[in-house]
Amino acid sequence: MLKLRAMRVLALPLTLLLGLGLGAARAEEAFVTNQLSDDLSVVDLATSKPVATIAIGGKPAGVAVTADGRFAYVTSPDAKAVTVVDAAARKVVGRVEVGGGPLGIAVAPDGATVYVADWYAAAVRVIDARERRVTASIAVGASPSGLAVTPDGRLLLSADRDDDSVSIIDTASRERRGIVKVGTRPFGVTIDAEGKRAYTANVGSNDVSVIDIATARETGRVHVGLRPYAVALAQGRGFVTDQYDGTVSVFDLATLQPLKRITVGDYPEGIEATADGKRVVVANWESNTLTLIDAAELKVVGEIKVGDGPRAFGAFLRRTE
Amino acid sequence: MRRTIAKAAVVVAALAVLGAAWAHGPTRQKVRESIEIDAPQAKVWAVIGNFQDMNWLAGVTKTEGEKGNEIGATRRLTLGPGATVDEELYKYEPDMMSYSYRITAVDVKVLPVTNYSSTLTVSPAPDGKTKLEWAGAFYRGFPNNDPPPELSDEAAVKAVSGLYRAGLEGLKKKIESGS
Repeated sequence: MLKLRAMRVLALPLTLLLGLGLGAARAEEAFVTNQLSDDLSVVDLATSKPVATIAIGGKPAGVAVTADGRFAYVTSPDAKAVTVVDAAARKVVGRVEVGGGPLGIAVAPDGATVYVADWYAAAVRVIDARERRVTASIAVGASPSGLAVTPDGRLLLSADRDDDSVSIIDTASRERRGIVKVGTRPFGVTIDAEGKRAYTANVGSNDVSVIDIATARETGRVHVGLRPYAVALAQGRGFVTDQYDGTVSVFDLATLQPLKRITVGDYPEGIEATADGKRVVVANWESNTLTLIDAAELKVVGEIKVGDGPRAFGAFLRRTE
Repeated sequence: MRRTIAKAAVVVAALAVLGAAWAHGPTRQKVRESIEIDAPQAKVWAVIGNFQDMNWLAGVTKTEGEKGNEIGATRRLTLGPGATVDEELYKYEPDMMSYSYRITAVDVKVLPVTNYSSTLTVSPAPDGKTKLEWAGAFYRGFPNNDPPPELSDEAAVKAVSGLYRAGLEGLKKKIESGS
């Protein structure tokens, strides 16, 4: 009833709203790692069209776009390297040999430092973005997967999958300051815009852990679908890719109550909200598509074909202004 | 010498898989095979639709399990002396004629994969025929860097696509000959 009335009120300025929405979305692109076709799809989210394909090699998986939108850093575990892509020019401009099995990746808000998780070692490699070389290594737990940096750049979080925990690292001293026990096999980790809470998708226990970063404690647990991969945040809600269910589980960030399961493509993996929080973008590994979700209405509003085996593990959306 | 190293690597990999079934390589592989069968959909579903009976797959000598076709049902396939595969059903949609299951335990010498999941789907094909599709997602048998050839991504894909092709062709023959 309430919803109906709201719709009627909105009916008149709807076209205006839609126009604004499109204008805002025009300023964003998805940089999607296609692991099996060995390349990167660049998708314009406003037109829902792929606009470029960039060859990467080495089975690309992780991706991190800088806050200023200039660069995309891509991990290639088979090549043991990180590829530097000039995002606007759609060109590979550098390659950093990191060794091991680079998977998760995150870039500091100022763009000066790139962090790469070595899946086979209990370590995060630190890359100096200007020099494009590894300058340090940080000891973490076993099989570090997802990485995320707080908005102030002071803390780095590493989801240490095979230790069922998250490391909290001081980025200045490059030392681990805390270890938070979470659910089983945390994979993706996402930090909220305030830098207060983090959320891990726990592949083994089919749930999401809520972490209070300041106290380094798990403060809540949300049951989701099978084999959750990563979490996106928008409109006061958490969106979680359930790989084996082909769904996105949505929950309320305040109450931690489940709200809905949205059917997307098969084996959904990488997920991120657009900067305006209106859309959530999902990479479907099996279906070779991106699904666009309206974060307010909680429904699918678009599907876009990409390369083979899209993972988009990390911060894969780019603002173009 | 090389052989010895490769063999040792297989043993290490097998131990690693037994010790930590969760560990896996960096790249998940996919295989999707399908076949057209000259029979109604219901007939094909009747043959493959029971999770507790995989005798339609050549090589499977016994299927033992629990909980029928419920979500979470388990089964053990026996392929020969000492060669078994343990599986669990996680999706069962009789209306869609589709179900999905995952392997919970297998020796990489039996099937060189880890973290394997699979879906069988029956759907209509032209001229009243039926399409049966078998799709799998899995990681290679070797969980660490630089796998030996027999536990590589390529070896995993080859083994699974070979299994699917043989399975589908065998089933087609079985149903179309009316046996």
